[in-house]
Amino acid sequence: MKRKLMMFLSLFFFGIGIISAQTQVRGTVVDEAGEPVIGATIQIKGTSQGTVTDIDGNFTLSAPAGGTLIISYVGYETQEVPVRANVRVILQNDSRLLEEVVVVAYGTVTREAKTGSVSTVSGADISDAPVVSMDKALGGKIAGVSITSSSGQPGSGSSIRIRGTSSINAGNNPLWVVDGIPVLSGNTNDFLNTGNTLASISPNDIESITVLKDAAAASIYGSRAANGVILVTTKSGKDGRTSFSARAKYGASWLANDNDFGIMSAEQLLTYQRDAAVNAGFNPDDPTDPYYRPKELLSRPLTNWMDHLSRMGNIQEYEINATGSNAKAKYYSSLSYNKTEGVFYGVDLNKITGRLNADYKLTNKLETGGRVNLSYSEGNDVPMQSLYYSNPVFAGMMILPWTPAYDEEGKHNVKIIENSNTNPRATAEYDDQFGKSYQLLGNIYLQYKPIRQITLKTTNAIETVHGDGRRYWAPETNEGSATLQTTMNKYVQLTTSNTATYNDLLFEDHSVRVLLGQEAMKYSSSYQFIYAPDVNPDIPYVQTAPQTGVEGEQGFSNETLLSFFGMLDYNFAEKYYLQASLRFDGSSLFGNENRWGTFYSVGASWNIHKEDFMNDLSFVNLLKFRASYGLNGNNNIEPYRAYGVYASTQYNGITGMRPSRPSNPYLSWEKNGTWNLGLDFTLFNRLDGIIDVYNRKTTDMLLDKNVPQTTGFSSNFLNIGSLQNRGVEFQLNYDIINNNEFRWDMGANIAFNRTKILELGDNEEIAYSEDGRLRHTVGKSLYSFRLLDYYGVDPTNGDALFRDEAGNLTNDYTQARYIYPGSPEPKFIGGFNTSLAWKNFQLGAFFEFKGGNKVLLIERRYLESDGNQMSNNQIKTALNYWKQPGDTGVNPKPLAGNSTNSYSFSTSRFLQKGDYLRVKDVTLSYTLPTELLSKVSIAGLKLYLSAQNIYTFHDVDWWDPERGVDGIGYGIYPMTKSLIGGIELSF
Amino acid sequence: MKKIYLLVLVAALIFVSCEEFLTEEPILQQSTELTLATFDGLDNAMFGAYAPLVSTNWYGASFVLDAEMRSGNGYRDVNKNSGRYTVPYDFSYTSTATPALWGTAYYVISAVNNVIANLDGKAGVEGVTQQDVDNLHAEALFLRALSHFDLVRTYAKQYTVDKTAPGVPYVKITDPAGKPARDAVDTVYTNILADLTTAEQLIDDSYSREGVASATSVASKLAIQALLSRVYLYMGEWQKSADYATTVINSGKYSLWGADEYADAFKADVQTGGEVIFDVYGLKSNSYDGYWDAITWLTNPDGYSDCASSNDLISLYEEGDVRGDMFIGNPEKAPGTFWTTKYAGKDKGTPDVSNTIVLRLSEMYLNRAEAITRGATVAGTTAVSDINAIRTNRGASEITSAGVNDVLNERRLELAWEGHFWYDLARTKGSVTRTHYSGAEVNRNIPADSKFWALPINKRELDVNENLVQNPGYGS
Repeated sequence: MKRKLMMFLSLFFFGIGIISAQTQVRGTVVDEAGEPVIGATIQIKGTSQGTVTDIDGNFTLSAPAGGTLIISYVGYETQEVPVRANVRVILQNDSRLLEEVVVVAYGTVTREAKTGSVSTVSGADISDAPVVSMDKALGGKIAGVSITSSSGQPGSGSSIRIRGTSSINAGNNPLWVVDGIPVLSGNTNDFLNTGNTLASISPNDIESITVLKDAAAASIYGSRAANGVILVTTKSGKDGRTSFSARAKYGASWLANDNDFGIMSAEQLLTYQRDAAVNAGFNPDDPTDPYYRPKELLSRPLTNWMDHLSRMGNIQEYEINATGSNAKAKYYSSLSYNKTEGVFYGVDLNKITGRLNADYKLTNKLETGGRVNLSYSEGNDVPMQSLYYSNPVFAGMMILPWTPAYDEEGKHNVKIIENSNTNPRATAEYDDQFGKSYQLLGNIYLQYKPIRQITLKTTNAIETVHGDGRRYWAPETNEGSATLQTTMNKYVQLTTSNTATYNDLLFEDHSVRVLLGQEAMKYSSSYQFIYAPDVNPDIPYVQTAPQTGVEGEQGFSNETLLSFFGMLDYNFAEKYYLQASLRFDGSSLFGNENRWGTFYSVGASWNIHKEDFMNDLSFVNLLKFRASYGLNGNNNIEPYRAYGVYASTQYNGITGMRPSRPSNPYLSWEKNGTWNLGLDFTLFNRLDGIIDVYNRKTTDMLLDKNVPQTTGFSSNFLNIGSLQNRGVEFQLNYDIINNNEFRWDMGANIAFNRTKILELGDNEEIAYSEDGRLRHTVGKSLYSFRLLDYYGVDPTNGDALFRDEAGNLTNDYTQARYIYPGSPEPKFIGGFNTSLAWKNFQLGAFFEFKGGNKVLLIERRYLESDGNQMSNNQIKTALNYWKQPGDTGVNPKPLAGNSTNSYSFSTSRFLQKGDYLRVKDVTLSYTLPTELLSKVSIAGLKLYLSAQNIYTFHDVDWWDPERGVDGIGYGIYPMTKSLIGGIELSF
Repeated sequence: MKKIYLLVLVAALIFVSCEEFLTEEPILQQSTELTLATFDGLDNAMFGAYAPLVSTNWYGASFVLDAEMRSGNGYRDVNKNSGRYTVPYDFSYTSTATPALWGTAYYVISAVNNVIANLDGKAGVEGVTQQDVDNLHAEALFLRALSHFDLVRTYAKQYTVDKTAPGVPYVKITDPAGKPARDAVDTVYTNILADLTTAEQLIDDSYSREGVASATSVASKLAIQALLSRVYLYMGEWQKSADYATTVINSGKYSLWGADEYADAFKADVQTGGEVIFDVYGLKSNSYDGYWDAITWLTNPDGYSDCASSNDLISLYEEGDVRGDMFIGNPEKAPGTFWTTKYAGKDKGTPDVSNTIVLRLSEMYLNRAEAITRGATVAGTTAVSDINAIRTNRGASEITSAGVNDVLNERRLELAWEGHFWYDLARTKGSVTRTHYSGAEVNRNIPADSKFWALPINKRELDVNENLVQNPGYGS
């Protein structure tokens, strides 16, 4: 029976086939711009028959009349058209799919096609956050990318570590590439903490940021790719008529303090000091006693100096942009102004940024365009980032509450003995410390497509940063004399990047892309610095200083890089992908025997979901396995290190030359080899995930190696060390609910990384160049604290106890042993976010966390000093001290004039767990209904309220747990909280 | 075929221009190659080689002060010190606590070797004469000999004690990859003599480097000859030592300071016509100025003051001897303790820096007197007359007879705090006996057979050069 039925059915269908008239279809598939779409798939609905378009976008096909053709192409919405003789199909960009096209090195890739580990953040995710620079917006958003603020100051830079830290003496920051051109990063201002070069780009102008994490993705950037590459793409013209949008933000910021941390009140301090005096055998009520602390002090006018030195900061940002296109031209243009006043007096930043991105089709084959960014910034600063007397964070905690804030004349009191006669409010008011920066970042390209498969492109770029700085100590704060420092600096980077690309689909299933390229870069920097003491305060410039006192200095350096590279992408039937890259870099930084380096990567991926055996598992929308290996380099070293040089030397009244560095003709790049295995998946069209496992090994690490002094030198800078970073990363996104009225999604990422030093040349351990309390030790993490072993308090008498070499307890500081109690490197980092949308309301929240790291609070040596700092205020946590026999887990007994070193900042006492969970952003927004707005010809209006860093969970006894990548960062401007309201209008 | 040539040519051009594009020379420093390419460059490099002499590792402080603290001339006041200079005073030398002279002296040696290796072809260019080149060469040889001499007498047994013992590597060509072994003491002396006698022949009689503030702080023919007198003295070559001393004395260029000139002589910024043959010039703006760690501050009773004088030394001066007045106290903070005033600062506006005398005329008289007592003969002079020539100029009584010990005693009195006494004890197989002493008891007295007469070489050096051996008694 069954067989009969089958036969009947097949006859029936066959019959239909016979009786249906066949139509010869000729068609063309073009995109919205009218350009032919090559390789689009044309399928007859209900059959497996079909064809693809040729290089002119044309196809011919024989199809049944009355049937339907399905036309599809990656990145475009699939269309259905009825069968007729002549068909012209205009494919529309598929905005949903487009989001999955990721900008990668020298091109774009879909999520299905990638082979390396790349992650991306869209511009929309960045622009809402009220940050001055784009680097700040990345924190917690991408698995394995750690953004550490070394300061909460507006406009300051961040330390970015992609998959751990790879180097001791070469840099650890990634390469930033903006619109295809590597750009300068770091602080380019001499007197400001806020000279973050990347801040010249307005976060609102960014279309997307892609992070190339593994070698497969990054190696094409060769000798600069070892720390990962961050690709920034700015917005280009949107299709259609000109549209404008304007934004305004306004907000306030204040010091974060979620653990009720703070200084003692006057009453608390007096009690503490009187106890300390009594404990040490003094009489606080005896006027002749060195620690005379009468209760009368409290009846004097009291000042909370932390409050007196800090204020409510504010943030303002205004922006307008225009975008549009026609058949030939596309443009995006913006102007923005940002003004931020810090939470300490004297700290602010003003910034104006303008951008024009334009693309123009000269002919059908020739296109040109440019990206120009202009910016001016002006920042005021006060001495920060160290324990200066004029640092308000530190001074505010150190100045005694009974020290008056103002003198009899109502001026800022500058006779503050306990703070070296420095009042940071006077510093902020009278002294100058400013930096101005003028920046240009621009490129112009010309692209020629002689035939559909081939693209030739040349991009030429210039980046300049001119800086001006001034530091002036006024007579009011400087014991009557006026001292001046001025600086001017200039950075110029010229880049040419030239590529030829061949892109084709061969034999239906074999897709090939070949790219060949050449780049050259020339970088130069220079500065002039003048120091002028005793200038005339009425004319506070160099001319009025006594000539003998003026000192001047100049600096110059140049650097060049020349590169040749190639890439090959191949895929078979969109199932199997292969990617290989090769780059030769020649650099002026290295020895002439090792001037050229070769870098490469090989990656492959497999779209498992496209295999036949997966057909039954229809809930698997994407399942992709990736594997890659690549080798790249780290050339972040000072120029001229390869040269043996003589330096000038003064002796006996004249200047001679003496050998200053041995020549090093073999000096070369540090190498990073990275293995990466990855899995990408999408399930039920709702759950997206990425899992990556990597092993990254740095070899040829640059270190100073001891050499016999009989050679005339003590050490030489050689490629000798190695270290390893291993880790695993997870990233998940889940659309929980998605219907017309209500949307709810969640995302999370977490990354685990372990660093281990494998070799340090002849050494087992070397000290961290910035602070000997951190060590680089073979077999341990890259940074390890090495501190004296503090045990706690002796419950019988309140003495501080240490462990000695034998592990026994001792109250003798000099007997304490050294231990390695942890590392400032986090063991895991990550973030999670959720967004909820109901009708026109949207609520988003973003959390960031880090853990497993330690921080060392050096300041507490002064602020929790057990009576050592009797002429300074102390912090509240110091009140928890030993009072009676049996007390444990408390601070040692305070003794006025204490010199037992119980408070030493070389012990583990002030080392704490640095784990935190930060509620980084909570934003509520409301978009006005379009039907309402269209009546007044407004395209969109959005209002929002955003809270930044509104709460942080942590156990660090400080304002905020972040203390820079080395976990020491004393005297830093802590992260602040802010509340910002904004409006966005488009028309 | 032509096409291939063309291709090769184009490729070569591209290669050359690539290399050119990728070559960025240092701007604010001068490449070694460039520095040594011209006579002027060599001249600058030669002068620069003097600069480290004033380092605190050498004549700027510790080479001199260490020797005094070891010899019994030095004393540490228990209340007035900064914790510096305990190693030489207590003899707590180990393979990691050693004199720092090694690195600094070999640094100067490498600097002069760079000059010597590049002298060829410089004469006859742009008005440079062969004599100009020879003068430079002589300066380089003088510094190389002086450096090795100070090294060998510090880190090795003395020539007169065991000339076959390991000395120090005599480095004539500085090889960046070199790991030289220790040459025997006599080999080192042979090379010192070769360098000095070559220098003596090369240098112009009247040559003195131009432009310097102090002409006694650069090499001269008489400085070379004076050093030869001392080197021969250390070797026990009495006649040669006496002859070179006579040459310097008879040059007429120097004269003994009178009793009334003595104290001021040590404060002069620039020496003219007095005793100084070669010294090291102190100045705040010297690149190697030691600041608080320089010799002046360490012997200043109100400074770090770690290096006081022992009463063993002070008690040797007789009444009226102006040398006995060269001490100053700090009655408030350290009653009964005195410090030398030979480094009490200069009279010329720089009270906190001093020159350090290396070679002076009195030493020549003393060298000759010692040589005569040991068998040398010089027509027209005797040991007694040489010693009395000094003593009469110091307000001290004349002597009537002179044996070896009288000469050595006079050396101690005259050259105290100038870095001589320790080495004089060493080469004469003497011993250290300290009665006025505040250090660790275990090393109060140093017998003649002590290991400390050859100080340890730093372990970091042995770690990177397996060809070096440590002196006995300091581990590996």
